[in-house]
Amino acid sequence: MSDKASGKAPEMKHSPGQPAPTGKEPLPANKPGGASAPGAGGGAVPAKPEAPANPNDVSLTIDGRSVTVPKGTLVVDAAQKLGIEIPVFCSHPKLDPVACCRMCLVEISGPRGPMLQTACSVPVAPDMVVSTETEQVRAVQEANLAFMLLNHPLDCPICDKGGECPLQDQTMRYGPGISQLVEPKRHKNKQYLISDTIVLDQERCVVCWRCIRYLEEWEDKPQLGLFERGGATLIDIQPGKPVDAKTGGNIIDICPVGALTNRVARFAYRPWEIDRTPSICTHCSIGCNLRMDSRTHSVRRIVGRENMAVNDQWLCDKGRFAHGWINDAQRLQTPLVRKNGNLVAASWSEALEVVASKLQSIKKTSGAESIGAIGSAKLSNESNYLLQRLFRSTIGTNNIDHRAGADVAALPTGLPALVDLMKPQYGPDPKADVVMLVGVDPSEELPILDVHLKRAVRRGKTQLIIVHPRKVELTRYNGPYLGCRPGSEALLINGIAKLALKQVQNSHTAPADAAGFVADATKEALRTVCGVDVDEAKRAAELLAKAKNAVIIYGPMVAQGEQGKQVRNALTNLALITGHGSRLAYVGLEANSQGCRDVGLLPNALPGHAPLSDEKLRKTLEKTWGGPIATKAGKSYSQMLDGAGSDLKALYIMGANPASERPAWAAKLDALDFLVVQDLFLTETAQLADVVLPAVSWAEEDGTFTNLERRVQRAPKAVRSPDSKAASDWMILDHLAARLGAQWPFANVHGVTAEIAKVIPAYHGLTWDALGDQGVQWDAAAITRAKPTMQPVTQETISTDGYSVIGGTVLYDDGDLFAKTPLMQNMAFGAAVGINPADAAKMGIETGSLLKVSSAQGELILAARVDPSVRAGSVWIPESLPNAPVGALRNGAAVPHVEITPGPKSAA
Amino acid sequence: MASNGFFRGAIEIARAMGVTLTALTRKPVTIQYPFEPVSIYPRFRGRHELRRYASGLERCIGCMLCEAACPTGAIYVEAEENDPANRHSPGERYAKVYEVNLLRCVFCGDCEEACPVEAIVLGHEFALAAYSRRDLILEKEALLNPSEPMVVIRPE
Ligand code: SF4
Ligand code: SF4
Ligand code: SF4
Ligand code: SF4
Ligand code: FES
Repeated sequence: MSDKASGKAPEMKHSPGQPAPTGKEPLPANKPGGASAPGAGGGAVPAKPEAPANPNDVSLTIDGRSVTVPKGTLVVDAAQKLGIEIPVFCSHPKLDPVACCRMCLVEISGPRGPMLQTACSVPVAPDMVVSTETEQVRAVQEANLAFMLLNHPLDCPICDKGGECPLQDQTMRYGPGISQLVEPKRHKNKQYLISDTIVLDQERCVVCWRCIRYLEEWEDKPQLGLFERGGATLIDIQPGKPVDAKTGGNIIDICPVGALTNRVARFAYRPWEIDRTPSICTHCSIGCNLRMDSRTHSVRRIVGRENMAVNDQWLCDKGRFAHGWINDAQRLQTPLVRKNGNLVAASWSEALEVVASKLQSIKKTSGAESIGAIGSAKLSNESNYLLQRLFRSTIGTNNIDHRAGADVAALPTGLPALVDLMKPQYGPDPKADVVMLVGVDPSEELPILDVHLKRAVRRGKTQLIIVHPRKVELTRYNGPYLGCRPGSEALLINGIAKLALKQVQNSHTAPADAAGFVADATKEALRTVCGVDVDEAKRAAELLAKAKNAVIIYGPMVAQGEQGKQVRNALTNLALITGHGSRLAYVGLEANSQGCRDVGLLPNALPGHAPLSDEKLRKTLEKTWGGPIATKAGKSYSQMLDGAGSDLKALYIMGANPASERPAWAAKLDALDFLVVQDLFLTETAQLADVVLPAVSWAEEDGTFTNLERRVQRAPKAVRSPDSKAASDWMILDHLAARLGAQWPFANVHGVTAEIAKVIPAYHGLTWDALGDQGVQWDAAAITRAKPTMQPVTQETISTDGYSVIGGTVLYDDGDLFAKTPLMQNMAFGAAVGINPADAAKMGIETGSLLKVSSAQGELILAARVDPSVRAGSVWIPESLPNAPVGALRNGAAVPHVEITPGPKSAA
Repeated sequence: MASNGFFRGAIEIARAMGVTLTALTRKPVTIQYPFEPVSIYPRFRGRHELRRYASGLERCIGCMLCEAACPTGAIYVEAEENDPANRHSPGERYAKVYEVNLLRCVFCGDCEEACPVEAIVLGHEFALAAYSRRDLILEKEALLNPSEPMVVIRPE
């Protein structure tokens, strides 16, 4: 394969013939005795291998060389270890063997002489003798390829797989060279859509079952199947049911031919023309590792990249397909300054001068406290670190926050165990035996966590406990499901703690004073206030009490506001009582939710989760930053926006769009004396700004992001438009700092990374080079945390009028970024409200009817979406829907209550 | 023997004059280009042309193999999916952008060798001067509509 890709990215093509080393390894690689193969035995006569030292290992001979591998290894993997390539199609290191393509036939000697067997399904046995290069093997390989090619179309020049196609490569290497078929080829469907983003060409399919097996083994959604028999065998969907698995796009990566191709990237790249940049996804906080393929300054396609500590090698469909925004024509190209009421193009020096002088004059007249800064969890550690440095030190205020920042009751160290959750997939023992999800729906919010959890449940017998007002997808695994009334989570969790207390009393781990803290949560209250089945709660309590290694995860949906603190307290109690104190985790949902907290993008904490009162850190920071740091705690995200225009005079917003969240905030932002917005697009917020500074995205500048389990990962620059004047965040902030009189020492963004690694103890040593392509997880022990103790929990009374609103986010929302990939818009949730069938029947509405959803704060017109997963008495309105600022109903309440009335007659 | 030498010299001169005289009567090989047309060998490799089928559809399928084969990086192709209602080429794929940079091209013919559908061929036009560099980057329109179709398909 000719490959013109520049040398900047390592070759990462993962051909199925060469399973990745970390693939199907039943035992850790560092197992003694399993690591090295004896070098001798190269002669023609197979040397009888010595018996291995470890009883779990097996020695065998392949092509005259002996190798020792763990018991249960497949012959194909053992050969791989010796560097012997056995051609395969159906075998894949991440899928169970089916041995249906017969490409991997090798000679294995048995009692009746050498026999042809499939290397991909036969496990090694002691003293096995394998030959991969005999005449007979060559003959069957050639015949096998001849049969596969019989009806294979001559599509290489127009096929997106061409150039990286195992069928091409193996035909060149093992194939017959000429075709014996003179009759016309069989015709099947071409350009056949199995989803909005995946194209199937049935003629090209070699019926390897990889796609079928991925959907069954990982997604647990058998949406593709085999139809017909013999040469007419087809891969197809069930009639009228497209593949809608959230990670379905992975079948494109693993298809060994061009039968499944990426519709978003269709015909936009050739493997020999692209630059490959190893990067990460920034759509959610998993931080999946991906490879960005680019050409002529634009991103052409995104494929998965292996990282066994994060995403295995999978991506969700949003991460894979929704990249249209990077090269969108509407990207801001020049700074804009408001003149006579209109935003007009300006030069960088003019725009920065306006920002600097305005901020200085407002600081002089109204004080630094009247200036605030909002960063974004979608942006890198470097951008956010510099934003808080600029405002903490140069401006002198602690009014610094981001969405879901100080307004949610978080915990500092994130998920303890993404790798542990993945373990059961590769070994028999579950590392996490019980996983409790409180107010997070991984299927919509963290799709790759969803895939890991499904695998852990099915292969590792992990039990799931789910607390969510919606019967989320993962509840299908029959773990205890507690569909409580929205807002009653604190009481419910305290109730589970109380029930668990009874269970653990003998084997005791619970704190002595525990009973007093959970006394209010009676069974009666669980039944009436939370509306859950007490037996289910008991089941959950029992599982937690018996679990050896439980993980309790909660998300921003239940952590909002005052009641969020109560939920956190209740969860702390539960974790303490059941003995999983260190395994309670808050997960933010945005790419850098964890990193924003780590670098101090909070009104009440310095970088590294240190309180503002931490004198030692303050000294270090003041020395590094060259100036005093504000001591008074600042305002949170919602406080700043609520106070905009009154006690807050100026706001600097980087990568956030609060105006789209609540109409009330849009009005307040408009009332500010001075608003600066630094963003990629002219968002609703940017339209209100006095100065708009065009920034670049994560694909266009180096940056680091910290994922939900504290893994700091690199996202290097892959593309940059030569026509645009947009600049990197660090550079904009650096120039602005210079105009405000500060001298920053950064020559490039890696200097910022180095400073973060210097000032934040947890990040010590994490420089750009040290992070490598797989990232580094920072040590949770590096931050000091008070030992958790039992906490009092109060449950606020929940109103029972109207419908309570279930929030949360959906994967295919209408965020500013997702909306820029037109091919995916049919998959989007749309401006809709989920409603229980019983409620819908009561009002006589069906899916599609328009509803008026109103609260004291505002009203929205939304289409009904009758959905049995929604709890009766509640409605589901996720965040970021098109033209539906859910905040219009919310106005600060964590769980708003709304009235629903049939709206204007819908067209349908 | 001076006369012997004299005769031999005279014969040589006469022979040389003979050559000259025969050449004088022969048709001259010099061609008064550009006033007279130049005859070109059939396998001459000149400016590129993109061919069409008799139906008028473009042959090029935008496979970028020519781009890959070109030793000088002179070709740039962007492919796109055909709209069945408004086809450019018969199959699924066509070239949305096709550019040849004649300043880079060395007229080696590797591109036509690589093309699976004989879409790109080197024609016979050789008068390729221009006043600006930009004019020497030929775009698809120019390549599809050569001033005169002068194309020989080489059987190899
Ligand atoms: S579509 Fe691809 S992955 Fe699926 S069976 Fe066919 S060749 Fe295999
Ligand atoms: S799961 Fe999250 S990080 Fe992974 S690809 Fe999807 S959005 Fe991106
Ligand atoms: S003739 Fe040779 S140098 Fe010119 S475009 Fe074709 S391949 Fe490239
Ligand atoms: S000219 Fe031929 S080789 Fe070049 S892109 Fe078109 S079809 Fe492919
Ligand atoms: S790879 Fe072994 S049968 Fe397909």
